[in-house]
Amino acid sequence: MRIAVAYKWAGDPQEANVGPDGVVDMSRAKPVVSDYDAVAIAVGRQLADSNGAELIGLSVGDPAAAASMATKTALARGLDRVVVVTGAGLTSAGATRTASVLAEAVRRIGGVDLILTGDSSIDAGAKLVPAMLGGILGWPTLTDADKVSISQETVTLTRVVGDQEEQLAAGLPAVLAVSTDAAAVKAPGMKDVLAAGKKPVEVIAVTDLADAHAGEGAVRSARPLDPPARRRVRIDATDPAEAARTLLESLRADGVLALRKGE
Amino acid sequence: MRFELTEEQQLIRDSVKEFVQSEIAPLAAEIDRDHRPPLETIPKLAELGLLGMFVPTEYSGAGLDALSYVIAVEEIAKACATTAVMVEAHNSLAIWPILHYGTEEQKQAYLPGMATGETMGAFGLTEPGAGTDAAAQSSTAVPTEDGYLLNGQKVFITGAGYAKVFVVFARTSNEGPAHKGISAFIVDRDLPGFDIGEGERKLGIRASSTPPLMFSDVRLPKSALLGKEGQGFEIAMRTLDGGRTGIAAQALGIAEGALAAATDYAQQRVQFGRPISSMQAIQWMLADMATEIEAGRLLVYQAAWLESQGLPHATAGAMAKLFCAEMASRVAGKAIQVHGGNGYTEAYPVERFYRDAKITEIYEGTNEVQRILIAKSLLKSTRRA
Repeated sequence: MRIAVAYKWAGDPQEANVGPDGVVDMSRAKPVVSDYDAVAIAVGRQLADSNGAELIGLSVGDPAAAASMATKTALARGLDRVVVVTGAGLTSAGATRTASVLAEAVRRIGGVDLILTGDSSIDAGAKLVPAMLGGILGWPTLTDADKVSISQETVTLTRVVGDQEEQLAAGLPAVLAVSTDAAAVKAPGMKDVLAAGKKPVEVIAVTDLADAHAGEGAVRSARPLDPPARRRVRIDATDPAEAARTLLESLRADGVLALRKGE
Repeated sequence: MRFELTEEQQLIRDSVKEFVQSEIAPLAAEIDRDHRPPLETIPKLAELGLLGMFVPTEYSGAGLDALSYVIAVEEIAKACATTAVMVEAHNSLAIWPILHYGTEEQKQAYLPGMATGETMGAFGLTEPGAGTDAAAQSSTAVPTEDGYLLNGQKVFITGAGYAKVFVVFARTSNEGPAHKGISAFIVDRDLPGFDIGEGERKLGIRASSTPPLMFSDVRLPKSALLGKEGQGFEIAMRTLDGGRTGIAAQALGIAEGALAAATDYAQQRVQFGRPISSMQAIQWMLADMATEIEAGRLLVYQAAWLESQGLPHATAGAMAKLFCAEMASRVAGKAIQVHGGNGYTEAYPVERFYRDAKITEIYEGTNEVQRILIAKSLLKSTRRA
């Protein structure tokens, strides 16, 4: 069995600067494996270990995504090997292009039974790629997975919808986007770090793919939205006790707090 | 000349930083307030590979170099000096002498458990009457037919509250110079006659366990001897050569934590209608702190690099420890000054950094001892014929 995890090597949004015009400047942000994709890798490692599967990292991006530091960072998270498709502008490509290139790479790798992705990309955050990828490959796509299990032929997920749990199953091969809570992400251990440099890395130029122009289109970034107005202040008090009483009443009125006597 | 960490060393820094943010920083203020060693962190440190950093992989360790080690200690100390010294004492003071002076049987017996955190280690050198004058050991290990009879007392033993194995120094002979009659032993915690006292309540690194050890007719097997009889002082001094670089890294991390807190505070604190970071008096303090930290880092990394290359590093380690210990106290003091009255309260971490910094000027060789070592090296290398 072969599990691929799509991950993005992009600037850490925690190090981004937001200008007064709302434009996000990522130029000084240190590149990282997306926090969301680290969850997908952790889920993938658990699934691979329990099913004797190979875990392949798959990334699409600018040549920087194939730099030794980038691939070692991803491999230290527990991947068995990585495949990186590079080309100028791929890191900031739209979801259609990204999904199309990923699909081309998955076909080239061959034998992939399950593709895992994070909840969304760390920079664009559009949550489009998993569904598009599944659509292009013709594979069932499931999202928001909080728990995942697989057998030889089926992937089963549990996700929380409101205060209910929903179970869904799909036949393999499939695409699965995991929620941000699907696994606890642990820092890579020292041995994982040292082993990362010894694992296989395959770098593919996008021009070498069967369809090098797959998904190229005219998605352009729009004008940034005006910063959202701050939420209306609902409690404006000088007396902390009075503020606490008002907060409790407000939470009760919203139905998110229920205080029962004797419990 | 290249001032660049290897990719592995950069990844180790990133990984330890991530671990510190999730597992160590959230506990730092609480364990300090409660004088409570963070025992729950030990298995997590072990899982990450921080408890057997020098230990070769064949003994279940991480097999890392000295520079990777100081990077890890530095990152931990940025958030919690106590956890940093727990890691430092275990790796530098307990594991290192067993790794370098132990027999194959001793390595097989102790290193795997120490590397995986099942057996925490401690280093018993200091006595009530033998601090800086380490050769004045009054603990005795009298040779017997089947081993040694250990008697004496040790004080300020980092990690003793939870350690299961101790590298202990004791006098085996009164013949010749005082330092020639000392031997080192590996002592298991559960031996009859070995008692551990109450932990000290300290100014800083309050969560670090530092109780005294009491030995009363403790029977040690011959196999407990580490190195040769009479080699103990050499083992202690060589262990401390490397240990000093670890303490220098701890001091460096404390200073970096203090600077980060001061920088953050200065950008948020508004006085006279503007952030205090826009005022030159504050900027100068931050600039001085950053410059001193950078100088200290170069000394620490150089000492660690020399050690990892197998080159003489004792003087470089002494310089790094001397400079970083004094620097950390200065930087932490300035960090409080930037915070003003707030910095004097427990609501902000800088008072903890200030208290924690002081011990780095004292343990594993006081500033004065470091100066003696540096001066001796200087005068020896420039001795006139």
